[in-house]
Amino acid sequence: MHELGITQNVLSIVLKEATKAGASRVTKVSLKVGEWSTVEPDCLKFYFGILAKGTLAEGAEVAVEQVPVAYACENCGHEYIPLVSAFACPRCSSNKGKLITGRELFVDSIEVENADSGSAKSSGCK
Amino acid sequence: MQIPVVQKVLAANDLLAGEMRAEFEKFGLFVVNIMGSPGAGKTSLIEQTLSRAGDLKIGVVEGDLATSLDAERIARHGAQVVQINTGGACHLDASMVRKALDRIDVTSLDVLIIENVGNLVCPVSFDLGETARVVVCSIPEGDDKVLKYPAIFSSASIVVLNKIDLLPYVPFDLAKFEESIANIGRRLIKVSCNTGDGLDNWMEWLRARQV
Repeated sequence: MHELGITQNVLSIVLKEATKAGASRVTKVSLKVGEWSTVEPDCLKFYFGILAKGTLAEGAEVAVEQVPVAYACENCGHEYIPLVSAFACPRCSSNKGKLITGRELFVDSIEVENADSGSAKSSGCK
Repeated sequence: MQIPVVQKVLAANDLLAGEMRAEFEKFGLFVVNIMGSPGAGKTSLIEQTLSRAGDLKIGVVEGDLATSLDAERIARHGAQVVQINTGGACHLDASMVRKALDRIDVTSLDVLIIENVGNLVCPVSFDLGETARVVVCSIPEGDDKVLKYPAIFSSASIVVLNKIDLLPYVPFDLAKFEESIANIGRRLIKVSCNTGDGLDNWMEWLRARQV
């Protein structure tokens, strides 16, 4: 529902990194999107195509890796993928699970042409 | 050539929310982000809370697409209230709350209640610097909401089920709903903002100011 604003953020991250690297064109954008990130990948791709027009990222392929929801049991430490009908830990039945993946939403990497070599550095993700 | 980026798309929001959270902690302020469908009873719950507040000092930030109807309802109770009109945004974000804080004296408050935009999807992703998240759900919405919207319910600190006075008139399997809440390991408080049923339990939770 709010993918337009999200996609604007994605594009600005992509353009900043590409400019920093001295690239002439962005050919691919790789994103990691959690199952519970409330972002619809197809919708994001659609907006990206529109927003990127006239920028370095025009025509870039957008690859979305969907990250499933996973829990870690706070009782026994077991990591598992919950079923909607069964969130409890399958090992010890505790429902003191903590979400460990499934809500992420980040730009993982970009592929560019004609970048200055040696300028590629990760910005890091907390 | 591939360039690793690894940057959160909502980094700016998260950073601001984190700063606000640190500030709230400094004042010992308990901040509640109330989420739920349109019509679940979020504003009614806040009104009932204010009329039972006693010496608990509560301020309210009202998020709405348009109109100040809710803020007017809240203001009648004499609480400090700030209206945010999102102009169509489907959720509040940290920057909207930050701006609202310029118009409210948080240092004089025990509790700050933020009423999010009525929506069971988008508000999940946006940290507002809150201490606790409350999801308000109501009998007419049906007993399957937890199964259909697991992300928001599992991000909640507690779930409030409102309009329990309608149980005799609306097909709603209470046992099934309770089971789905137990399944995600959350506490459920059943209330009726209409009759006042169960609101003591809610106030007890709020006064304890423990997540």
